[in-house]
This record gives sequence, C-alpha cells and structure tokens, in this order.
Amino acid sequence: MFGFPISTPRPRKDYASCSGCGLCLLVCPVWRRSRDIGLAPLGRAKALQHGAVAADIAESIQSCTLCAACEPACPEDIGLVAMTLDLRRQLIQPAAVPSLRARMDEQAARPLAPRPSSSAVLLPGQALREHPGTLARAAALLGGMSNIPIADDDGSDIALALEAGVETPAQRLQQFLQPLRGLKNVAVADGLLLRHLRQWLPGSKIASLGLALSSLAQVRRALRASDLYVIEPRAYHADYQRLVKHYDALRSDAGCTLNLDLQRIAIPASARSLAQRLEPETAADIRDDSVQARWILQGRNVERIVVENLEDSAAFERVSKLPVVHLADLADDGTS
Amino acid sequence: MHLTDVEPGTLGPCPVAPDALQGIKRQQTNPGRWNGPNWEEFAAAVRARGIELRETPAARAAFATDAGGTAYGLAHGVVIARSSEQIARLLQAAQQYRVPVTVSGGGLTTEGESVAFGGVLLDMSGMSRVLHIDADALTVRTEAGIFWHSLAEELRRQDLDYLSAPLNLTSSVGGTLGVGGIDVNSARFGCSADQAIALQVVTPTGDIAECSDTHNAELFQRVILGYGQFGVITEATLRVRRYTPLRMHYFYYASLRSAIEDLQLLDRNDASDYSGILTIMDCAVNVLVAFDSPEREAAFMAHWRPRLSAYGELGFGLRALIHYALRPWKLREAWYLLERKRELFPELRRSEYMRDGTMLDRSVVFSRAVWKFWGGRQMVIPDLATSAAKFIDAVERGNAVCRKFFPHYTLYLVGIKLRPEHRAHYEMSCIPPDAEGWAYGCEFEPMLDGGAYSRDYLQSFKNEIYDIGVDLGASYYRFGGMMKGYIRRVFGDALVDRHLALKRAADPEMILNRHVIF
Ligand SMILES: Cc1cc2nc3c(=O)[nH]c(=O)nc-3n(C[C@H](O)[C@H](O)[C@H](O)COP(=O)(O)OP(=O)(O)OC[C@H]3O[C@@H](n4cnc5c(N)ncnc54)[C@H](O)[C@@H]3O)c2cc1C
Ligand code: SF4
Ligand code: SF4
Repeated sequence: MFGFPISTPRPRKDYASCSGCGLCLLVCPVWRRSRDIGLAPLGRAKALQHGAVAADIAESIQSCTLCAACEPACPEDIGLVAMTLDLRRQLIQPAAVPSLRARMDEQAARPLAPRPSSSAVLLPGQALREHPGTLARAAALLGGMSNIPIADDDGSDIALALEAGVETPAQRLQQFLQPLRGLKNVAVADGLLLRHLRQWLPGSKIASLGLALSSLAQVRRALRASDLYVIEPRAYHADYQRLVKHYDALRSDAGCTLNLDLQRIAIPASARSLAQRLEPETAADIRDDSVQARWILQGRNVERIVVENLEDSAAFERVSKLPVVHLADLADDGTS
Repeated sequence: MHLTDVEPGTLGPCPVAPDALQGIKRQQTNPGRWNGPNWEEFAAAVRARGIELRETPAARAAFATDAGGTAYGLAHGVVIARSSEQIARLLQAAQQYRVPVTVSGGGLTTEGESVAFGGVLLDMSGMSRVLHIDADALTVRTEAGIFWHSLAEELRRQDLDYLSAPLNLTSSVGGTLGVGGIDVNSARFGCSADQAIALQVVTPTGDIAECSDTHNAELFQRVILGYGQFGVITEATLRVRRYTPLRMHYFYYASLRSAIEDLQLLDRNDASDYSGILTIMDCAVNVLVAFDSPEREAAFMAHWRPRLSAYGELGFGLRALIHYALRPWKLREAWYLLERKRELFPELRRSEYMRDGTMLDRSVVFSRAVWKFWGGRQMVIPDLATSAAKFIDAVERGNAVCRKFFPHYTLYLVGIKLRPEHRAHYEMSCIPPDAEGWAYGCEFEPMLDGGAYSRDYLQSFKNEIYDIGVDLGASYYRFGGMMKGYIRRVFGDALVDRHLALKRAADPEMILNRHVIF
C-alpha cells in the first residue's frame, strides 16, 4: 500500500531572508482577492523586518488560508506556513477558541480509540465524514481486498487548533497519536494535519487522501481527458518537489487538466480565512471561494470536475453547472 | 549627518560614495527625505476625497526598499491604486499640497527609483485586472499594475502570450513600459515598451488621458520609456501573439568576444527566434538560442549552427577538462564551474516546465532561476547599453571591472531591435542615440552570495561600469535613482534641460517620481 517514498523535510529559513521578490504574490489567493501586499507573505516579511510585531499585522496573519502555495514559490525557501502559524500563536485568540479548547478537552476525556486492526488507517476529516457513501468508497479503494480502517479519532479538533494557532493539550495529542504509532501507512484528508503527522510519526508513511487515491490504477483509469482534476493544495505544496512529478505523470496518463498555474503551483479552489473555518455559520461571506473557482475554470474547456477535497465541491457548484465528483466516487460516477 | 534637501532638477553634492570620474560632481546616493509641512492637511484632504491612505509602520515598511536593497526610504503613507479616477484625485491633491508621489509597480528597480523618500507611495499592483483580450486582433487591454506573469496566466488560457517582457515574473506592465523591458526575443521584437499600442495615463496634474502614436502622440512619446515622469500609466493596450513553447539550445564559448560576434551574426540574420548570452564565468559563456517552430530550428541547424564558433556541452566539457588538467593551480575555478553547472543546469531543465523537449514558459524557468541563484536582499545590476559596434568593447571593459570587484559574477547580454517609427520614444532612454538597427545591452551582476559589501563598495563598482558608458557615449537601462548623476553626463545638458522643462510644464510642483531622473 502507498508505494511511494516519503521525503524528509529540510530546515527552512525565516522572514529575515525575504528578498522582496514578490513571487509569493503570484500564487496567493488572498492577494488575488485583495491586491493588498500587506495581506501576503511579502507584506508580512517586510513589516517584520522593519520592527513590526504580530499584533501590527494581525489581519494579515488571520486572513491567510494556509494553502501553502507560497512555499514552493518562494526562492528563499522560507517556511511560510510555519511562520504564519507561529505568528498566530502570538496573537490574542479569536472568540471561537474557548469552544475549540472545550472540544479538545472533551475529546481528551474519552477512552482511547482502539488500535486499527491493520497496518494502515484513514483519517478522513469532518467533510468526508459528512458524506458516508464517499467515505466508504474511499476506504474500500484504499483497502484493496479489505477496507482500510477508518480512524474513530481523526484529529479534526487538533487540525483546527493547529490552524488557529491554539496549543493542543499534551494529553489530547497523546490520545490522538497513541493508536497511530507504529502504523506503516496513514492516509489523511487534512493537508495541514498531514504536515504535522510527518513530524509526529516519523516512522510512518503519511500520504494525503488525494495522493493515495490517485496512485490507484482503477482511479486513474476512470479519469478522462475532458476532466478538470482539482488537487488539494495544502498536501500538494507540503511535498511539492515530489508531488509535482506525480501529478505531471497523472496529467500525462489521463490527459486531464489540472488546477495548476504556469509555475505548476496549485490554485486553491476555496480560500477560507481562519474566521471562516472557525465559525463557518457566522463568519462573513465566502465570496473568496467563488473568485478562486471561477479563476480555475476561466477559459478551460472541461466537462467534469474531479475533486480530491470535498470542501472544494461546494465552491465549484456555486459557479458552474458542471458535474463535480470526488475522486473516491469516480468509478461509480453516473455521468461516466 | 545632515543632508540638504536638493531641489528636483538640480544635482546635490555627494557626501557618501567616492566618485570614480575625477572632477565631476555626482548626485548624492539617497535623496534627503521629504519632510513637508503639509502632510496632515494633505492626508485629511485625500481621505475627504474618498482615498484610503495607510500610515501604519507595517504598511509603509512593505515598500521601504526595492529589489536592489541598497536604497531605503519610508513613505509617509501608502495608497493602493484602485482606479484611474482615484489616482487622478490623489495627484490633484498632491499638486495642491506639494506632496511627492512615488509610483511602485513590481518594485524591481535596483537604484531606489520606486522607493518613496517621504510623501505617498502609490502601489500600482492594486490595478491588476485584464480588461479585454481580442484574440482576433491579437491585442490585450489591461490595467497597468498587473505583473507580466499574471498577464501571461490569463493570456495562456486563450492560447496567447505576450510578445516580450522582462525575464522576471513580478515586474509590472506599467513599470516596464516606463523603463524598457528586455527579453530574449527583443532582438526580433524590440523591447516591451515597443509592444504598447495605446495607454491610459493619469497626468501629474490629475487629468486622465488616452494616448497613442496617433492620438495625444506627444504624451505617448514622453510616457513610453519616460521613467514615470510624465504620468501614471493606468491602462495599456499591448500586442500579443499565439502561444508557442520554446525549443531551446545552449552553445558554449570560452571567450566573450567570439560569443558576442556570433550573437550579433545570428541577430543580423534573423537566424533564431530567441537569443542571448549568459555567462557563468568570462571563460564559460553560454549563448542561448530558441525557436518557436521545428522548421525554424531545422533551418538554423542547417545554415547557422555550422558557422558558429561554439562548442556543444560535451565538447566544452572536454575542452575544460584538458584546460584545467594543464593548469592545476586553477582548480578552484574548475570546481566553481562544476558546482555552478551541477546546481543551475537542472534548474533550467526541470521536467515539470518542459514538455516533449520544449520549454513551456521561459519566464517561469529563468525568473525562478534568477531569484534562486542571484536573488537576495541586496542586488546590484549595473548595465551598459550601446550600439552594436561598441558592444564588444563595452562588455570587455565592464568585465574587467567585475573581475576587479568580485570573485564571481554573471553577465547577461541581449540585442534589442530598434523600430525606426519609435525613434521619438527612445529619446533620453536606455536606447543609445547612436544605435542603428539594434542596440545591445549587458547587465553586470555580481554574485553577492551573502557577502558583506558596503554600499560604498557597491556604488564604486557601479560608478566604474557607468564611467565606461560615459567614455563610450552609451546609455544605461538603470540610469535613474542613485545613478541619476550620470544622466547629464551621457545625454548632455541641452537634452536633459529640454526634458526638465517639459517635466516642469507637465508637473508644476514636481511631485511625481521626483527623485528618479531630475
Ligand atoms: C532580478 C531582476 C531581474 C531583472 N530582469 C530583467 C530582464 O530580464 N529584463 C528587463 O528588461 N529588466 C529586468 N529587470 C529590471 C526590471 O524588470 C525592470 O526595471 C522592470 O521592468 C521594472 O518593472 P516594475 O514593475 O518592477 O517597475 P518599478 O520598479 O516598480 O518601477 C520602475 C519605474 O517606473 C515607475 N513606475 C512604476 N509603475 C508605473 C506606472 N504604472 N506608471 C508610471 N510609472 C511607473 C516607478 O516609479 C519607477 O521609477 C530585472 C530586475 C531584477 C531585480
Ligand atoms: S499560505 Fe496561501 S493564503 Fe497564506 S500566504 Fe501563502 S499563498 Fe497566501
Ligand atoms: S516569495 Fe519569499 S522571498 Fe519572495 S517576497 Fe515572498 S516571502 Fe519574500
């Protein structure tokens, strides 16, 4: 299972190294929407180089969607996602944080999840859990002869805490990681959690759900040349050097169009700020999603949209009438 | 140290850097900061006109320097450009309150031209929409703050491409039309400024005007290659073309002279679609040529390749092996060459940017490589632009200066086809007045490699390069900002005074990009 090598992360530079080249602007969805340099890594870096502290650039820090597109774009190899998270930790926490803490405490009080019966596990995340049919098909595909176990505890609360810059209580983290230790393969839907799992579980192969599914022959076979294949950006950019080749091969095999720009960086289909993630019901509008989804579709002649991440489906459904299918549902897609 | 504020249009004394040319007064390297008394009233007036003005240190810090990283200045406030009308209101207020406005596109100048030393910094990247693509007429109308690469992203969705642009992803259309824009196809198409058909400009007094070679021609001629002196370019209509990937070839030379001779031979005969020279060292020189079609490539291979005095990669490698085997004391040099080849060459051939042996996007490949290998918080890139006849001399003399100052450096050389009908645009620009047919440009780019060089040292280096230009009667691509002391030397007082009079008439309070040229 997951027959590909894992790469070891290299230490990255910090904001002090920013040359101001502006390459991060070209790929940043927040800059695309706002055309405001202050909301992009360049603006944050320059502000910090000139003595600003986190509170001075709070809006910029909170609006980042953590899509990580800026990381492979940055020629100085600055760890831009880690830096944003670090800056978030220095800010006064948003109002929704107490409820997030309570959620983690509540989780921590539960009994330890059973250890999966096989050497692999799937951490599906909240969006996939809300679509049990798709989740079941993903598990069946990844399991080969038998279904891959789906983790009871997939760390959704921890993923949100990471995003918010809220510290995860040690007890909660241990409770989450304990059943995963020693597993050979972990497939994870959340791209931000994936980055951290690589550090927390150094002996395991951690793959994004998109990568794991798109490596399967039966999934690749179901792709068509008229498809737009939408890569989940967080996981892709976290392992860009290797995955750019994986997806290039996928494009070449299937002939499909990818949501990549000319630098081969993924254009995020949805671009939600921290507030929108923490309080999806009450946060301000979600127009960002439409801007991005429209931009991906502009001038592209495709007949079907295939997404790795279910959160992207809604963004496309808002702006187009094309069928949108999750990767796991491809083989069963009625539009085939 | 107290710096006297110098009235725009006059040269102040230079208290900082040594002067390479004996006996000639040179402009101080950084202008004194404008500390006008009217800022508060101006800020209130601007806000009353519905313009968002940002005065926080964080907002201003983003523009504290340019790509050069040697000129530092803080604006009093930043305005993100949103519309021509907004810019018109801003400039009207600036005239009224005598507040300088400095325009920044991509901020890729290296001599502080896009740095505000007080007053307002106008960030043009806020105006980045593509307005209309006409695929039949092969034109695009775009807001001028757009980066060339963002424009390419949009054009490519319609299988189109821009004609020529700096090999740099984040230079803006407006900033480039004002200074030049040299690409590896400039020997065929001219510079980026030559691709502009029409512009919308906000004049320094806040009028919005459309101009072209046939309408408001005088304004057009001054704004194109005008270093932002005669108006803010807000929209541009540009020629575009059908997209083609590139069939790229690299040829190797051990001498600059023979490489330049071959480059000029190819340009004169329209032998390739793209051409240029990039050096690793002055004894390891790379001529790159590329083609839009297999037919052009085949014709080149049949007719021109045999006439070049170039080595292929293998031949050059063998030659170098023998050369260094006989000169073991030069082992460090050999090692440097090897390391450079090992790091740089794969970057130019990354599989994700290639398809079926062709390069998908030259700007992506070269710009990413430029930032990765040459970029940093400080960059000095002095240059010389000469007629074809003077070029070898200029490059060899410049190369000797580089050798004196830095252990490692790169030269980037390209031809620029001149358009006779654009003569009027070229006046007092990077195009040397004596060039006919083609002008040639050479950038001298030291590899600073994190080394600690003082500003004085870097300035002395630039001066020595620029002195060659004075001596040869050449021009420069980057002659504004810190290097503006050379403008009168190369163009002469009569021409500069004429342009200064035009500037004063167009911009009575000298508010727009006031320290760039005059
Ligand atoms: C690493 C590197 C590589 C480079 N490679 C190339 C290359 O290959 N070819 C090449 O030609 N150049 C190259 N350059 C130079 C640079 O690309 C040009 O100076 C560039 O075109 C400037 O564009 P910009 O948008 O960054 O302009 P800016 O630096 O922002 O501005 C340039 C000047 O124009 C003014 N200005 C900006 N926008 C406007 C506007 N809309 N209206 C009026 N005035 C305006 C500014 O005040 C300033 O005086 C390179 C520079 C660097 C640092
Ligand atoms: S992570 Fe995404 S949203 Fe955040 S700065 Fe980078 S590109 Fe922009
Ligand atoms: S890409 Fe990196 S070095 Fe360039 S401006 Fe952005 S953060 Fe700075």
